Amino acid sequence: MPRRVPPSLAGVTALVYLFLHAPALVLVLFSFNRSRFSVEWTGVTLDWYARLAGRSDIFRALRASIIVGMASTAIATTLGTLIALGLARRRFPGRETYEAALYLPIVTPEIVVGISLLVLFAAIGVPLGLTTITIAHVAFSISFVVVVVLARLRGMDRTLEEAALILGADELTAFRRVTLPQLWPAIAAGALLAFTLSFDDFIITFFVSGVGSTTLPLLVYAMVRRSIEPTVNAISTIILLATTLLVWSADRITSGPRTPRAVAG
Amino acid sequence: MKANRHVPHRLNRRELLRLACLGLAGLPFAGVPGCSGRDAARVPVADLEPELNIYNWSDYIAPDTVRAFEREFGVRVSYDTYESNEELLAKLAAGAAGYDVVVPTGYGIQALLAQDLLAPLERSRLSNWDNIAPLFRDSPYDPGRRYSVPYQWGVTGIAYRADRIAAAPDSWGTFLESRYAGHMTMLDDGREVLGAMLKLRGHSYNSVNAAELAAARADAIAAKANLMAYVSAPVKGQLIAGDVWLAQLWSGDATQARVEQAEIEFVVPREGSMLFGDAMAMSRGAPHPRAAHAFMNYVLRPDVGAAIAQATGYGTPNAAAAARLTPARPYPTAAELARLEYQAELGPANALWDRTWVEVKSA
Amino acid sequence: MAAAWLQLAPGSLWLLAFFVAPVLIMLGYSVMHAGTYGGVSPGLTLGAYRRFVDPLYLTILLRTVLISLVCTAICVVLGFPVAYVIARSGRWKHRLLFLVVLPFWTSFLVRTYAMIFLLRDGGLINTWLQALHLIREPLTMLYTPGAVVAGLVYGFLPFMVLPIYASLEHLDPALLEAAENLGARPWSRFRRVTLPLSLPGLVAGSLLVFIPALGSFLTSDLLGGAKQVMLGNLIQNQFTTARDWPFGAAASFVLMAAVLAALLVYVRVQRPRVDAA
Repeated sequence: MPRRVPPSLAGVTALVYLFLHAPALVLVLFSFNRSRFSVEWTGVTLDWYARLAGRSDIFRALRASIIVGMASTAIATTLGTLIALGLARRRFPGRETYEAALYLPIVTPEIVVGISLLVLFAAIGVPLGLTTITIAHVAFSISFVVVVVLARLRGMDRTLEEAALILGADELTAFRRVTLPQLWPAIAAGALLAFTLSFDDFIITFFVSGVGSTTLPLLVYAMVRRSIEPTVNAISTIILLATTLLVWSADRITSGPRTPRAVAG
Repeated sequence: MKANRHVPHRLNRRELLRLACLGLAGLPFAGVPGCSGRDAARVPVADLEPELNIYNWSDYIAPDTVRAFEREFGVRVSYDTYESNEELLAKLAAGAAGYDVVVPTGYGIQALLAQDLLAPLERSRLSNWDNIAPLFRDSPYDPGRRYSVPYQWGVTGIAYRADRIAAAPDSWGTFLESRYAGHMTMLDDGREVLGAMLKLRGHSYNSVNAAELAAARADAIAAKANLMAYVSAPVKGQLIAGDVWLAQLWSGDATQARVEQAEIEFVVPREGSMLFGDAMAMSRGAPHPRAAHAFMNYVLRPDVGAAIAQATGYGTPNAAAAARLTPARPYPTAAELARLEYQAELGPANALWDRTWVEVKSA
Repeated sequence: MAAAWLQLAPGSLWLLAFFVAPVLIMLGYSVMHAGTYGGVSPGLTLGAYRRFVDPLYLTILLRTVLISLVCTAICVVLGFPVAYVIARSGRWKHRLLFLVVLPFWTSFLVRTYAMIFLLRDGGLINTWLQALHLIREPLTMLYTPGAVVAGLVYGFLPFMVLPIYASLEHLDPALLEAAENLGARPWSRFRRVTLPLSLPGLVAGSLLVFIPALGSFLTSDLLGGAKQVMLGNLIQNQFTTARDWPFGAAASFVLMAAVLAALLVYVRVQRPRVDAA
């Protein structure tokens, strides 16, 4: 039986996507706006893109953001998944308190974390830079990953895994070949979340960044708060295009002509 | 039956490839043109250090100032930005080090001095000092100018659309009238809003008198009913678009807005207002003090100062540079100066002001 | 038990060093005196916590909780259908998921400013509504509490969609089929099959939206015209303009304690759900 999506639900979904993308589309549109202040449309120009070429600071910031994003996502996803597995599968004293405590990084205001981390780094004598930013990003991303992966683990059916164990597989193999593939969507979702959080983080990054470690949000937030300039829109548009292209091509590469939609039966 | 569970294994590879591709996205940027600009091997001039770390407001310099400085002096500059005094102060107070030159507003310099976070400057290395207009050679926040070099100056006033307003506003009381309700904004800044209301009643912009502040609070709450919003610099866009007809705004931002909308005028209310000056200072323990002085001296050149002021829209305390500005941005006359006050560091009175502002906002 | 430690150790150590330690520093700050120019000065006092018990600040707390609840509710209503549709979209699953997250890789601030363009009196939405003759005068949307909620929902929707999706993704359509064959109607199928199975994701998503929403402040400033103070604004200000770090820290801990208490309850309730080892 084909998977059916009720038209009403599809309609709501379409509207939500429109809501999500409308501001982004406006943003893209205004990157071609002649006016410096993105409130009214005054004409077409490519000036802002031309200006980008001379803005080496923007490219440096973008590079910094990508490096920090990739590194912190990789670490946070790994550590977070491990914790989720430990929480879901193992019994140990204080488990519930531990789990509740994991929400603390989510609830603590960013400025508190930012300033106190800075105080900590300054006290220890750690030089501020991309490393300190990455450390901070991992610290606040882990909990998000745990929440997402744990939710999936809790609802997961363990019979397949148990079957594998009964059939003689050791724990690691059972995990790798049975659990992990099932868990993968949740891990990917958690990783996406972690990267998004890192790529757009401002407050914490502001406080723990050092000389020459300006990330893109720091640059953009500063530019936007004082005087909105469409150069910011231009760089955002390029990021959008680049990521879309990359993911689209990755998709093309991995999805071949084969479509083994073995239907449940 | 879970036979279709075979599919996740392929997703495995797909996800991995996707992540890898995203990772590869990072590599090309290593070689993007202009990414480092460290073209020719640099040899610093005279006894300067090879590097310099500047921490300035965003968008507060001419596009080529830093690069020209790098080329002429052979110093590699690391230029980072912030966009509020408070964030700068909080970061420095928490222990962030490594910045040579910082550019706080006057009261920020007072606060930094009180915490012993600034180093005194060597006047002998600032040969262009005499370019500074007499008005700015001394300051209430840094008596004797031992720690700072003035960078830009401006005033707070009312920017308005001459084509939407019947008569030019000349008083802070305009915000208490409902004539233009819904089309007025004030700055999202407690010091500015309460300060304006204090001035309206003839008190000091920096008053710490509880009764005066209470009156100012009442006025501010009354004005709030007529306001569209509290917005700071970004109100420029809406002023140009015509959503906002009257905005409490800083002079430099008004100048920038006028470039795109000629109908925008700027006026300093008759009761008086705030004069502010941002100044370059050197942090205590700065790793590159000589290069820092070279940069500050560089900014004091007439052509460099003029370029900066032209780009930011604010006034330059550099008299030689001011002479080159078009259109001219005259210094405040003696009469005007009598009505203007520098924003002072409030010290312990900060708490009172903050609470008053929270009360205004919560009303 | 040893295996549990192995899995929990790396992450826990990281969090201990780079989250717990700094927060403990802040806890210390919350019981000290404020430094005149920021930071703290020596001397212990509970003044910061006592100061929080004040109608002015409690109103702010209440308002923030209300707005965050509304935002969370809307996110559930909008996010669930989206997550459901994505989970059932077969080949398109990952592309749709990616499309949810994609706008968020541009700057949040720039997107919020774009929302201003959409919502202002002369903005896109009003222009179209008037062109379609649905309204005569422009609707005032910008700088209203509604705009703040819309901005918050906009900012937090992926945090709702992703966990629900992760939870729904393994929902076996065979179960729904079986329910249908047994005579259950769509709503009943949803209530008795889909909803219970997606509950962990739903709750996770709600927490991931509600909790950060409590601390948000930018949206209220930009879309609400900074005319109201949210808890996030209050805390932010303590470390910047107000220069009262102890009070900022204290307010944060009050917030954290309240949420933590609620979470402990939630975790207790989760207990029957956890599979027996």
